[in-house]
Amino acid sequence: MAQSFSNRTGIRRRRRKAIAVGLLFTAPWTVGFLLFKAYPIIMSFYYSLTEYNLFSSPEWVGLDNYIQLFADEKFYKSLYNTIYLVVFGLLPHLAFALAMALLLNMNVKGQSLYRTIYFLPTLVPAVAASLLWLWLLNAKYGLVNDLLSMIGIVGPNWLVDPDWTKPAIILMGFWGTGTTTVMYVAALQDVPRSLYEAAEIDGAGSWRKFWSITLPSISPVTLFLIIIGLIGTFQFFTEGLIFAEAAQSVGGPENSLLFYAIYLYQVAFSFLKMGYASAMAWMLFLVVMALTLIVYKTSARWVYYGGEK
Amino acid sequence: MEKFKKRRILIPALAVMLTGALAAGCSGGGGAKTETGAAPSDGKASESKATEGKAEEKPKEKVEITFWHVWSEKDSGPINAAVEAFNKKQDRIVVKALGNQDATKQLTAISGGNPPDVALTYWNNLGPWADAGAVLELDDKIARDKFDTASVVPAAMERTKVNGKIYGMPFTMSMASTLMYNKKSFQDAGLTTPPADLDELLEYSKKLTKKDASGNYTNMGFLPDYPWIDNVFWPVMFGGGWVDANGKVTPNRKENVASIDYQANFYKTFGVDAIGKFKSGLGKRGTPQDPLLTGQLAMMIGWEYNFPDERKPDGPIGIAPFPHPKDRPDLKNSGFVSPRAVFIPKKAQHPDEAWEFIKYLMSVDTQVEFVKNSKVIPTVIPALDDARLRKDEALSTMWDFFERAKSPNLTGFPNSVYINEYLQALSEETEKVLKGQSTAQDAMNKVAEKIQPLADKAKK
Repeated sequence: MAQSFSNRTGIRRRRRKAIAVGLLFTAPWTVGFLLFKAYPIIMSFYYSLTEYNLFSSPEWVGLDNYIQLFADEKFYKSLYNTIYLVVFGLLPHLAFALAMALLLNMNVKGQSLYRTIYFLPTLVPAVAASLLWLWLLNAKYGLVNDLLSMIGIVGPNWLVDPDWTKPAIILMGFWGTGTTTVMYVAALQDVPRSLYEAAEIDGAGSWRKFWSITLPSISPVTLFLIIIGLIGTFQFFTEGLIFAEAAQSVGGPENSLLFYAIYLYQVAFSFLKMGYASAMAWMLFLVVMALTLIVYKTSARWVYYGGEK
Repeated sequence: MEKFKKRRILIPALAVMLTGALAAGCSGGGGAKTETGAAPSDGKASESKATEGKAEEKPKEKVEITFWHVWSEKDSGPINAAVEAFNKKQDRIVVKALGNQDATKQLTAISGGNPPDVALTYWNNLGPWADAGAVLELDDKIARDKFDTASVVPAAMERTKVNGKIYGMPFTMSMASTLMYNKKSFQDAGLTTPPADLDELLEYSKKLTKKDASGNYTNMGFLPDYPWIDNVFWPVMFGGGWVDANGKVTPNRKENVASIDYQANFYKTFGVDAIGKFKSGLGKRGTPQDPLLTGQLAMMIGWEYNFPDERKPDGPIGIAPFPHPKDRPDLKNSGFVSPRAVFIPKKAQHPDEAWEFIKYLMSVDTQVEFVKNSKVIPTVIPALDDARLRKDEALSTMWDFFERAKSPNLTGFPNSVYINEYLQALSEETEKVLKGQSTAQDAMNKVAEKIQPLADKAKK
């Protein structure tokens, strides 16, 4: 009895010690998370219910910021611009990355060299890449319109015409799909050979194999990329700001480049409305969360894990 | 079973990513801005210098104060010289200067409660910062030391006032009251004198505009919104204003509307799409491909920092007072100024020493030396006529600007807490008018509607 009692506390003590050591080891992350993520997130929610200019103490206004948000023309405009990127940018970029990945997954000489080359643009910092593309997209002297004119198309006024500024951003985005491509290449290499062999024996052509084996097999990666892409696109900032600066304004021609994060930045640091900006951040969170949930819910229908839906 | 496991991992992963999105939503902006702006290495330097300053604090005897300014390392020679001269001149206050401190950095330091003792920024930051209680009012110090604000260019002095109180001193100023033109373009078109009034400006523009075989503009005379939509310049040229004595915002008053109509007329005359196409093919400003140098564009609104060498008498660029409206000869030599202001953050540790330094910066001798080194426009009136500047051949291209800085028709945009929103709204609505999507009156009414509530709130 006494024996077993002391034994039990011994185990407990050891276990408690293990937990303490574990906590200690995770402390750098935990403390960092609490301090630099959890605290700002909680505070930003509090600020979103106040009027706060960074200097004087926040004044409680309840839901005023959110109510104002729904009457703010520029809120809708920036949301529209951002959703435009999601709708017309995200999926084409993924499709392009997959196409590149299929090419880069073929058995040809010098493949590792090609892979490096296609990945390289990803390493160019966003600012440098944007400045470079400003020149490529120049309506008069840009290479893009030069190429278009070779096939008899009069290129649009990419950076000045408000209808074309977002397509310009999307066009540039194709250049930066290197990371996505690499992830797809990795996924493609994970597709079991045996499936292809079996399909070939059954007489499947390459399209059939792609559609029925490749796509379903890499669907978990696609889901991951869509969600990451969704979140990333909603935070789209740098390139938009630089393209707009070329037009000497914050939002570009007719605010066609006023993306959500850019408007948020303007509200916070130019207009000093931190409360309103926090409310915007929370709206962004809700929108992204809702969209992510939708994508996630539908994923049951098109994502396969190890052969199962 | 397999899928179950993966899902369980996926859900927390998603949660983490989403919260990441949220955190980035509120802080990502700042990070990206630094990327486009100053060199990142400066952040560290600022920290170590700031702490150094505090550690050596010895009141009454030697006091060390920190001074933040906006110039990059490359351009901070003149201001460093001024600081050094101050440190040598007396032995009580030591000023430590730190450059590359743009508005976002200053804002962060001030709101974080660890501000510099004195800082230099663009005047339009003072409105929001002062209203928020972050900037020290200088009226007491001015009265105590009998600092003569009348010796400062009034248009510049006015810019540092918010709600009638003075929150900073305009150290130097930029000024738009000049027309710059390509001399050769004028010659080729048979024009001998610069346009005198705004009707002539349009006439000249027609004469200076050329098309190629396919009907695209290759050269244009003048673009009212080059290099940017100037929401301050044009109303000033027409004698307009933005706030009246009763605190009503007046973007829609007659003169302001006329100034926007005037700009829109260029777009009507030459075509919105055609101008758009032409603009996108313009060379980069400040390079040998600058459109005014190549003659692509024959005339533009000129600032004192444009073409400092090319506007010499034998250079390719000519300058003239900007044309005035034909029926308003009284508005000759109109223009607006935008100063760089020095101010003391409210939480500064040594406001009195900071004020001493500001007075030094506003002295004639300091201004003269600084202008000699950096070719800017001084704000202290006696400096404008100082022989050391007026006889220095190296400054010959600045003389016209010193002279024009004395014009009584100089003004500027009223400073306030809502200034940046006001300016933004003006730009957005003006753009709609230029593109022909709205009439000037409607657009400006809309600005008034949007900004009046902010103005009402600011008065309380």
